[in-house]
Amino acid sequence: MFPAWNPAQPEITDLLVQHDPGTLQRLPVRKQQLVEVFARFRNRKALRAVLALPEKAGILDDREIDALLLTVHWEMQRLAEEFFHGHRVWELLRSVVTSIRQAGIRETLRIVDVGCGIGYTTRWLAAKISLADHNIEVVGMDFNSILIAEANRLAAAESLPCHFLHGDAFSGEHSSHILLSTGVIHHFRGGALLEFLRRHEQRETQAFLHFDFQPWLLAPLGSSFFHQLRMRTAIARHDGVLSAARAHDGRTLTEAARASVPGFATGIYGSKIWGTPLPRVFHTLVGLRPGLVPGLRRDLGRHAARLGELR
Amino acid sequence: MTLLFLYLLALLDGLLCGLRTSMGRCPLIRKRAYYLRALVRGIVAAQVVSALALAALLLAGAFSSHRDALRADLASAAGRMLRIFLPYAALVLFNLALRLLPSTDIRSATSVFMLGPLTAIRPVVMIVGILYGLSASRLLETWLLGLFVLALMLFLEFALNRRAARAQAIQIRALV
Repeated sequence: MFPAWNPAQPEITDLLVQHDPGTLQRLPVRKQQLVEVFARFRNRKALRAVLALPEKAGILDDREIDALLLTVHWEMQRLAEEFFHGHRVWELLRSVVTSIRQAGIRETLRIVDVGCGIGYTTRWLAAKISLADHNIEVVGMDFNSILIAEANRLAAAESLPCHFLHGDAFSGEHSSHILLSTGVIHHFRGGALLEFLRRHEQRETQAFLHFDFQPWLLAPLGSSFFHQLRMRTAIARHDGVLSAARAHDGRTLTEAARASVPGFATGIYGSKIWGTPLPRVFHTLVGLRPGLVPGLRRDLGRHAARLGELR
Repeated sequence: MTLLFLYLLALLDGLLCGLRTSMGRCPLIRKRAYYLRALVRGIVAAQVVSALALAALLLAGAFSSHRDALRADLASAAGRMLRIFLPYAALVLFNLALRLLPSTDIRSATSVFMLGPLTAIRPVVMIVGILYGLSASRLLETWLLGLFVLALMLFLEFALNRRAARAQAIQIRALV
């Protein structure tokens, strides 16, 4: 295995910005600390990217890092666009919303995009779907304040009916009927994955949908080729490929979900293409209150075959 | 006719280069106007490239002592280039057309399996197309003109990309 594909290591962007978990205050990040992390994994590709990061007296330069993060996230949105991710999310989300309505819940459904970054999915939904017709509200949340500021700026620039909040989506202040995320869940590993899922068990929460890359033999290779072509920054190229290598398989996700949130029926949606053994690029960890499952299967129609066992 | 085809292909290439170099640099959702501007930039750049190529062609013709032989040689080389460029362009257009189908699987697959690799091999196709066109030519002027056109084609995307990168950097600087 190439060192840059070692799933045990973090992605560079995971380490660039650090916050105090209590106050959400940004903390200074020592460049040497990042160098040591990737030196441990002998990941020369990451080391090259880290060494090129702008610093002041050994501390990463916040302003430059913010500029870099925005550049990377603008680039990453291109991938979501090329993969028609908004359509993919809505295809499933629409049926989940319908199943919740069929169960008799009439209030405005609050959908929270966890770890939304610059909020592509949320903004896409707000731009393309009549939220009022479906009586839904979409909100994006992230720990990174610069990305949240950018998401709010972009939503305002297009007068989109959505907003973004800096903070913890699972804190008591923020309730949600549906939680969704894209490319987030592989950042949680082992005990942290169990803990992340355990926090979904909230009274109001009816469903969760976590979209992520699906790992398979050729995924890192394909991802490497694709990112080399499409991405322009060294960090986006590195992290994009590592994401594909770190992605959890369906079994890991469902086992973790079933152990952590027994109050939900959980399973994987969309792992294979058209009933063939070919894997899709993305798969989705789906969790639903058990009473919603028949409604979801009914509403998915011919796409119900994409839904694995939910239990 | 051959020249017209080459011109149309240059136009298509410029248009797609304009589009490609602007992708990933605008995070809005509704960006038809942004992409239209990118397309126009690509078309304008292709016009500049085509005009320079035409000027070189006319100059070569004007100063050549064997004008008729040069014209025949150029026509033959251009015809051979089309044998490479036309199938490539057809493949690109076919895959772009597939993205109109309302299936996220098909649309994603065109990106991963076709448009990505086709973008990757663009410089190779340019080089192979021009060299294949020139391979049967005996005149130095034809070779020089062919290589000049190749340099222009390769420079086109580089220049558009630099311009787009500069514009993006200015925008991001204003945000942080």
